[in-house]
Amino acid sequence: MSSQSASERPVLEVEGLVKHFPIHGGLLQRRVGAVKAVDGVSFTIARGETLGLVGESGCGKSTIGKTVLKLVEPTAGRIVLAGEDISSLKPGAMWAHRRRIQTIFQDPYSSMNPRLPSGTIVGEPLENFGLSSGRDTADRVARLFERVGLRPDAMRKYAHEFSGGQRQRLGIAKALSVNPDVIVADEPVSALDVSVQAQVLNLLIDLQEEFRLAYLFISHDLAVMRHISHRIAVMYLGRIVELTDKRSLFMRPLHPYTEALLSAATAPDPKRRRQRKHIVQGDVPSPANPPPGCHFHTRCPYAIADCKVIAPPLIEVAEGHHVACLRRPVGGDPGPLSVSS
Amino acid sequence: MSANILEVRDLQTQFNTLDGVVRAVDGVSFDLARGETLGIVGESGCGKSVTALSILRLIPPETGRIAAGSIKFEGEELTTLGEEEMKRLRGHRISMIFQEPMTSLNPVLTVGTQIAENVVRHMGVPWRAARERACEMLDLVRIADARRRLDEYPHQLSGGMRQRVMIAMALSCDPQVLIADEPTTALDVTIQAQILQLMLELKEKTGTAIVLITHDLGVVAETTERVVVMYAGRKVEEAPVEALFTEPLHPYTRGLMRAIPRLDIEADAAGTRPRLQEIPGLVPRLTQPIPGCAFAPRCGFATGRCAVESPPLLDVGAGHTVACWEVDRVRASAL
Ligand SMILES: Nc1ncnc2c1ncn2[C@@H]1O[C@H](COP(=O)(O)OP(=O)(O)OP(=O)(O)O)[C@@H](O)[C@H]1O
Ligand SMILES: Nc1ncnc2c1ncn2[C@@H]1O[C@H](COP(=O)(O)OP(=O)(O)OP(=O)(O)O)[C@@H](O)[C@H]1O
Ligand code: SF4
Ligand code: SF4
Ligand SMILES: [Mg+2]
Ligand SMILES: [Mg+2]
Repeated sequence: MSSQSASERPVLEVEGLVKHFPIHGGLLQRRVGAVKAVDGVSFTIARGETLGLVGESGCGKSTIGKTVLKLVEPTAGRIVLAGEDISSLKPGAMWAHRRRIQTIFQDPYSSMNPRLPSGTIVGEPLENFGLSSGRDTADRVARLFERVGLRPDAMRKYAHEFSGGQRQRLGIAKALSVNPDVIVADEPVSALDVSVQAQVLNLLIDLQEEFRLAYLFISHDLAVMRHISHRIAVMYLGRIVELTDKRSLFMRPLHPYTEALLSAATAPDPKRRRQRKHIVQGDVPSPANPPPGCHFHTRCPYAIADCKVIAPPLIEVAEGHHVACLRRPVGGDPGPLSVSS
Repeated sequence: MSANILEVRDLQTQFNTLDGVVRAVDGVSFDLARGETLGIVGESGCGKSVTALSILRLIPPETGRIAAGSIKFEGEELTTLGEEEMKRLRGHRISMIFQEPMTSLNPVLTVGTQIAENVVRHMGVPWRAARERACEMLDLVRIADARRRLDEYPHQLSGGMRQRVMIAMALSCDPQVLIADEPTTALDVTIQAQILQLMLELKEKTGTAIVLITHDLGVVAETTERVVVMYAGRKVEEAPVEALFTEPLHPYTRGLMRAIPRLDIEADAAGTRPRLQEIPGLVPRLTQPIPGCAFAPRCGFATGRCAVESPPLLDVGAGHTVACWEVDRVRASAL
């Protein structure tokens, strides 16, 4: 479980986060609209806790990650890191806080200089932040290599000489090197085979417990999500539609989109293949032009007339269980919804 | 007429590289029955795609070649068939869905033209009829407003729709065999579910036999009848799908099953995070000949013999075969 003490303030607090990307068109490349990549998102993460962010391609997961990392500027909203509001800090002022929040990418290779030995790459943040230099850096990097399960003598090797799983370990070592509070992990195991994926997930869990790291863990794989997360936020077209602890999410999903996601997931068990319930039809609409009202109404089997006009807010309908659906009122019956005619 | 539409025997496909000869497929055999769905699973680089490309004779001749073995389609040997005859088979009687639809759809032709061209080429019908056929096929793969979509270009479609166009094109000439290489890997889960359901429905209608290549055991469990497990270019196990999941017998297959995080078991629902079982070590390099069992350096059951002598495929009954010297010990151990 997460090692959250009741009184401790969450290490990351995000409130009303909005990120719009302008769309330019026409001859003069005027601004003709905006992709509402993130459209009013709030959540917190405690020390030692993993918040999973799940949803389909283009729903805004990576944009949230990049915004809290301040790699892109939020359009609106507040980001509070270890008690400090970083939302509007300019790059210079942000520098002092950057160490606290690190990232692990899906493809660490693309972010590594192919001409530098891996030890130098992992040690870069230590030197950049002035945390160590020379011999001291080398010692620290050697310990980091050991901690993530790489042989210290591999420090001389170049990134291309490592396997996919080993490169992901390099990325983890680099993120860990500066003792961060929060790690944004954007699809860190999606490119890996299951046997390697297991190694990396186990390592991430061990490190989290050892250093009380907070993870914002982005994935579209529900099984991975269920494995690593404490709480899970389900996103659809820029908004969080359900946020709760993983147990309730999988046992008692309340949002129709969550239900659709769960029933679409395949299980490695041939006996269950005929049990698959309703498969939601239709494509995910474009985030540049999301449907009005509840974004999910074009595919939702339970939609009613109001769903086309009213955007449901995310509300806490039962303890710790947040849902954004007009048919899920506070204290409502958590049972299945009836299909509207 | 044999019950098998496709028979692959001791297939060896190799590539010449700077590091030496890559034995991408190293003696693989399997059969595909008419109307059957066969899964091929295994980790990245184990030779799944090369197996598929070998069947279609699409191995780039500059670097690669089918070094040995036989591939029979309807009793006809494909490995020695002339390129002209092969062209007549491809996209017609054997067709393939490639992993990335954008790379196999032509960006400057409308989807209607692309499907119709294939129909004209193989079925010798006039253009008008082929367009009609294309429209029917788009309807069949449930693309709404099919007639209008005929005139659209691939970039105007969503990823899920492009994948459906690929399926429509692959099925447009009533193939007897459809080879689908990771047909849903690039898609979102809700779209993946739609596409898998669609493929199975179409199969029911047309009786096409399917070879489904994937590394996703969930997809395999959901859609196939029989499964071939590959490791380092070799087939290590083959079984009916239920048997593979209830009693996997090869240590590698068992390792895979234990490594996947599961949605369908209740154990971790309480909020705990049980450790996943890792398979220690790395896959072997395919540029060195592997004298014994390719899995030996990573296998908990290995004995001295495993490193030097390659285990033959052993028939354990009910269509289940496994290549492991220690299968009795494996079977007796807990899953
Ligand atoms: N720099 C940018 N400029 C314009 N649009 C952008 C930019 N970055 C992201 N977007 C758009 O914002 C939306 C959300 O993108 P984002 O990358 O956050 O999605 P995601 O949930 O991470 O998807 P995926 O699962 O495919 O990685 C998409 O429609 C995307 O095209
Ligand atoms: N054109 C080529 N030249 C050299 N080697 C190749 C070529 N194509 C494939 N290989 C090698 O053959 C082996 C098998 O590759 P293949 O593409 O069949 O793997 P796969 O099982 O389909 O993997 P994935 O799940 O990643 O698609 C790999 O080691 C690969 O590097
Ligand atoms: S608000 Fe309406 S459309 Fe949206 S999820 Fe709930 S029932 Fe469906
Ligand atoms: S043959 Fe030996 S090394 Fe190979 S899987 Fe069986 S026990 Fe393991
Ligand atoms: Mg992303
Ligand atoms: Mg492949």
